[in-house]
Amino acid sequence: MKIAFGSLRQRLLLGTLAWIIGTIGVTGWLLNSLFARHLERQFYTELRTHLNQLAGNLEFNADGQAVLSRPLSDPRFDRPYSGLYWQVDRLGSGDQPPVSGILRSRSLWDQALIPPRDLPADGDIHRHRVDGPDAKPVLLIEQVQHSLDTPAPPVRLMVAADANLLAEPQRDFRGMSLAALGLLAVGLVLAAIMQVFSGLAPLKKLRQELALLRDGRQTTLKRPYPSEVQPAVDELNAVLVKNAEFVDRARTQAGNLAHAVKTPLAIMANACASPHDRDAGPLADIVRAQVQLARQQIDHHLARARAAAAAQLSGSRCRVRPALEGVLRVMQRLYAERQLQIDIAACPESLIFRGEAQDLQEMLGNLLDNAGKWSAGRILISAGQSGSQLCIDIDDNGPGIAANQRDQLLQRGQRGDEEAPGSGLGLGIVDDLARLYGGRLELQNAPLGGLRARLWLPAGREEEGSFSA
Amino acid sequence: MRILIVEDEPTLRQQLQRSLAAAGYVTDAADNGRDALHLGQEEAFDAAVLDLGLPLLDGLSVLRQWRAAGRNLPVLILTARGEWHERVAGIDAGADDYLPKPFHMEELLARLRALIRRAGGQAANELVCGPLVLDTRSARAHLDGQPLTLTSHEFRVLAYLLHRRGEVVSRAELSEHIYSYDSDRDSNTIEVFVARLRKKLPPEMIETVRGLGYRLP
Repeated sequence: MKIAFGSLRQRLLLGTLAWIIGTIGVTGWLLNSLFARHLERQFYTELRTHLNQLAGNLEFNADGQAVLSRPLSDPRFDRPYSGLYWQVDRLGSGDQPPVSGILRSRSLWDQALIPPRDLPADGDIHRHRVDGPDAKPVLLIEQVQHSLDTPAPPVRLMVAADANLLAEPQRDFRGMSLAALGLLAVGLVLAAIMQVFSGLAPLKKLRQELALLRDGRQTTLKRPYPSEVQPAVDELNAVLVKNAEFVDRARTQAGNLAHAVKTPLAIMANACASPHDRDAGPLADIVRAQVQLARQQIDHHLARARAAAAAQLSGSRCRVRPALEGVLRVMQRLYAERQLQIDIAACPESLIFRGEAQDLQEMLGNLLDNAGKWSAGRILISAGQSGSQLCIDIDDNGPGIAANQRDQLLQRGQRGDEEAPGSGLGLGIVDDLARLYGGRLELQNAPLGGLRARLWLPAGREEEGSFSA
Repeated sequence: MRILIVEDEPTLRQQLQRSLAAAGYVTDAADNGRDALHLGQEEAFDAAVLDLGLPLLDGLSVLRQWRAAGRNLPVLILTARGEWHERVAGIDAGADDYLPKPFHMEELLARLRALIRRAGGQAANELVCGPLVLDTRSARAHLDGQPLTLTSHEFRVLAYLLHRRGEVVSRAELSEHIYSYDSDRDSNTIEVFVARLRKKLPPEMIETVRGLGYRLP
């Protein structure tokens, strides 16, 4: 799982996580404080009950001494250090000093409760937290009671309980609620992550398909997408179709322009070569030379425009063998006078070129035409596949080209749109086309003695893309 | 030898007609595909120069229909569309040669000569019959090394007979191949041309096959 900065996934995940943690935190806090308050209320209600019982059982005898008419009912008051205590203090009045602990529960044993020095008004009940037996903190409530029918000084009644009796259930609840809510949070986070990943899965699929598109293995996006993504995919497909139309039209227009110019060029060339104007002299020579140059320029740029468009459009495939055989039929007609022996040493039916059949034929045609011009009678073709590349060798038994002139012939490394056409042998055009497809043309020595033109081109696979004839 | 020129551009059509006439051919011309189709099917031509971008009916369709109708005259496609896939389409439609524009007229003439020669089963540019040598490249004839002076009609009759050497050629067929469509054809004039040729050639060289036509041995 990779989360990139600024990604949709990151945004969705961070947002969801913040919400989950926030709401669960607040819920936990609310639950805990509610429950703590509830426990506290229960705790003090119990202490109050004991205090009321203490007050009810307290009597003053004839000497004005406070005594219990009956013991308190809760047995914990009788067990030493049980955690539940009561105590009665006599308050000072007139000449009598205050006495702490005139009566106290057996559970206090030899200890006494020492409340802060404040005195609740009549009927008020104060709560305190003080140290009890064994220096353990206790929660204490106190009340002042006056004797109604004797002049005895008032007494302070206190009931206390171990603070742990309240804190312990609170702690237990906090632990359990934390565990439960934590589990819930983990579950929610996992669900959110899964949702984000499954929700964004179509985007991943889209990206994969776009990669296929760019590699030319598809012309449009074909797979089904969820209804939220499908409209965007449909729009994209429409743009692709439109783009293909534009490219196609541009290509057609480039072709039309080239062809429209060629007939006037032919007329000019004929006019300056016709026998009647043989003495036209330098002007005719200039026209002839320029017509030749113009023709090369047109061929060069037309081929480039076509192939650039094709390489952009991508998505097409063609089988090598039929394209090659088509070109060979032309070669046999064009070179019928020369009686060339053209053999295909190897070209499996399975070879597929990732591109337009027309461009493949243009490259093969130019190479074969060049071989035909220089050959002393034999041309040998062998095609094969090496990894993801096609390798097509066209050998002739002509004079060949010296190694130091080959690069010059292809004008390697200085090509550009404004570049003038190369040698006029058509090799420059082939190299250009091959490069537009991500391939290249190499010139070597042929085993037959002449030139070997080795063409590297991207290979296609059987199952993908549409085939062009 | 009679050639059909199919080209819609008038200047180029005239240039072709002039150059072909200068090379000793009789020419007929069509400036659209429908006329071309009709001429090619109805008339006897020894070869055709065919443009592809034509009004009314495109050149490839014309060619395919000629071939479908069994017309097997040699056809040279002369077109601005010089890309290889177009050449393949042209050859596959039945063309015998393909020359992209702009072109050299000499090359066109050479290729036409080669087409006609191959169609007649000849291997060389020179047509030979005993002491008679006719060079198709220069459109000249020699007898025993001496140049023969021939009118254009005489040359055409002799060239046609030489191309079909050994076969009997009827007067009607001869007239079809030496006259263009527009000219006033009269097969009787063929007899006149043959008679004049016989005076310039060794006697008995042009054999008359009674009721059928003429033959060169």
